Amino acid sequence: MSISYVLVLLALGLFGCAVWAMFWAIDDGQYDDLEQHASAALEDENGDAPN
Amino acid sequence: MSATDTLHARWSLDSGEHEHVVFLVEGMHCGGCARSIEKAVSALPGVLNVRVNNVTARASVEWRGRSATGLGQILDAVTRAGFKPVPLAGTAATADYQRERRAALKRVGLASLGMMQAMMYLSALYGVTDIDAAMTQLMRIAGMVIVTPVLFYSGAPFLAGAWRDLRSRRLGMDVPVALALLLAWLPSVWNTLRADGEVYFDSVGMFIFFLSAGRFVEMSVRHRSLNSAEALARSLPAQVTRLAADGSRERVTATALLAGDLFLVPKGSVVAVDAELAAEVSAGTQASLDESLITGESAAMRRGAGERIRGGSVNLGAPLTLRAVATVDESTLASMVRLLDRAQATRPALARAADRAASWFVGVILVLAVITAVGWWPIDPARAFAAVLAVLVVTCPCALSLATPAALAAATTRLARLGLLVTRADAVERLARADTVIFDKTGTLTGTSSGVTRVKLLNQSGAQVSQEQALAMAAALERGSAHPLAEAFRPHENANLRADALSEFAAAGIEGRIDGARWRLGRRAFVEELSAASVAPLENQDDGAQILLGNEQGLVAAIEVGVPLRAEAASAIESLRGMGHEVIIASGDSAIAVDGTARALGIRRAYSRLSPDDKIRLVQDLRAEGHRVFVVGDGINDGPVLAAADVSCAMGQGSAIAQSASDLLLVHDSLAMLPRAVTASRRALRVMRQNLGWALAYNLAAVPLAALGYVSPWLAALGMSLSSLGVVLNARRLATPEEAP
Repeated sequence: MSISYVLVLLALGLFGCAVWAMFWAIDDGQYDDLEQHASAALEDENGDAPN
Repeated sequence: MSATDTLHARWSLDSGEHEHVVFLVEGMHCGGCARSIEKAVSALPGVLNVRVNNVTARASVEWRGRSATGLGQILDAVTRAGFKPVPLAGTAATADYQRERRAALKRVGLASLGMMQAMMYLSALYGVTDIDAAMTQLMRIAGMVIVTPVLFYSGAPFLAGAWRDLRSRRLGMDVPVALALLLAWLPSVWNTLRADGEVYFDSVGMFIFFLSAGRFVEMSVRHRSLNSAEALARSLPAQVTRLAADGSRERVTATALLAGDLFLVPKGSVVAVDAELAAEVSAGTQASLDESLITGESAAMRRGAGERIRGGSVNLGAPLTLRAVATVDESTLASMVRLLDRAQATRPALARAADRAASWFVGVILVLAVITAVGWWPIDPARAFAAVLAVLVVTCPCALSLATPAALAAATTRLARLGLLVTRADAVERLARADTVIFDKTGTLTGTSSGVTRVKLLNQSGAQVSQEQALAMAAALERGSAHPLAEAFRPHENANLRADALSEFAAAGIEGRIDGARWRLGRRAFVEELSAASVAPLENQDDGAQILLGNEQGLVAAIEVGVPLRAEAASAIESLRGMGHEVIIASGDSAIAVDGTARALGIRRAYSRLSPDDKIRLVQDLRAEGHRVFVVGDGINDGPVLAAADVSCAMGQGSAIAQSASDLLLVHDSLAMLPRAVTASRRALRVMRQNLGWALAYNLAAVPLAALGYVSPWLAALGMSLSSLGVVLNARRLATPEEAP
């Protein structure tokens, strides 16, 4: 049973890491603009697709 | 504030080591466009970070301060890449929104992670018996460690809101929410500390998650509705060429222009600020401008020295040197934006009533919670607690107080897209209820510039001339004339037809040669003298001026020049009538003119020669009969009657007095938008009623169920969030175009 204590504490630590990572990502502006970067992958590298 | 400070406040977010600017970019259609701007700007030395969003048309640039790169270079790079940078109206407001959005996102994020974690631990305690006391206690502590920060971080707006309400002795909608959160949290902490009894940390986490997620979506939707002012400001150019006193030219941001500055406007460019022709540079010239951006009037406008040219006009003719008479913020466009802001800052009567009801409602909920507690206690203390929580959380005064503002915000956006600015918050509701429309004639049903209203071919000269040819000849003769009548012929100009040896006779007309023949255009006697013929005057239908066109062989055409009806007036009035409105003309003009217009539009009730007082009396009489009156007007003399009506609309080209007295401003002067606006406002009223009805029905159904213990606390939190979301999303439907009336 003692392993459960360790696991609970470990999960708490992971929770803290997840919260920190999310706050960092939000402050970095990664969620400010959800449309642009999704379509960027479809663009040609040089930005002027032949059409 | 110096000019540079103003400039900075308008463009930059902060200064110092790192400069940061957000601006709008016009002309982007795809991600590729955004990428090419990013590339052009990144190539500049000292630029740290460039982000361009093609959906919101915003570019954000960070660069090292005090380097070779300045704002001017960045804007130039964007221009060179083929796009137009535009200052963002209220950049500060956007920065605020970004901060607010990030903070809200963090609160939702923490709540969602915390809720899942807490549930994982605490579900281990549900109905499980073969778990030792130490493990149970560990789970409780883990739940407390996770949910407590969630409560005080993610739940902070609710707690702070409730505290603010209580301090000002009001019952806001945050009060029951905060009460429920603390009621669930405090006993849980107590039970954790004494290592015995139930804990509700998972419920607390779930409440906060649902509530803050609901608020986040509401915030995003509302923000999207408030961008109409920005769209107006977007039509201004970002940079202008300023002429210094020594004649040198420099590119400056439009916001740096001060009254008195000289600046150049190339052909095809937009005038950035209200201005006038600089007399010393361009003596005797006339500016030809397209003011449709501001007023919707598509015909070219002529402006001589000393006449005001509105910011937002497009220069159609030769390059102009203009003197600014106002800064960007003082210009016409900015004042329109301020009128919009006024509307958005005030709350309409219906919303205020809903707010009062919501506050009363919260009081009732608190009483019901006490009754629930007292009722359940003798039966089952454990269930009493859950039922009280459910009653507190399930009720949703938010839906009630959001019902109208959400619908109004969406309707205002929709109307702005139709070219109608709502300048008073109550206007939408009252427009929907109006049943009688009173139009002014001149400038409202008719345009403001003169045109040819009638042509009668006489063809006494033998040669058969068509109507177009007659008008083209008249236009050729009038070319270059500064007489007001010349304006009427300008649309009929034909490049192949030229008149020479033109001479103008005061109070008579114009003589000139076309293909070698002598022609005259002007008053009856003047032309008849040349043609040695005479003709009976056209029977008078309108109050327009009648002139003749003739050569030495005879008279060719009789032309009536007047102020023509707006092209869309007839169909707009037809549609309004189809929607059940009675249409009335009330004009200060002569009976002949008014009757002619009324006949042309099929309007039976037309009043002529009315003074402003008479018009007000007419409105009051109609209101006394129980009609709700909608007045459309434009002139200075229309100000009082616009103010006396139930709801009023001024033409965008009309006088400032008319505009400030009215509830709506028809920016594009297109009457065709009026029926659509009425349809849009009626839809808005319908949505408001649906919203209020839905909010009431939800609460009436949910409260008894919760009090009777049928609603678990987490379901209550979900229900409350969904009910306010439902209201907001229902209102969003208004932003879509309505079906043709």
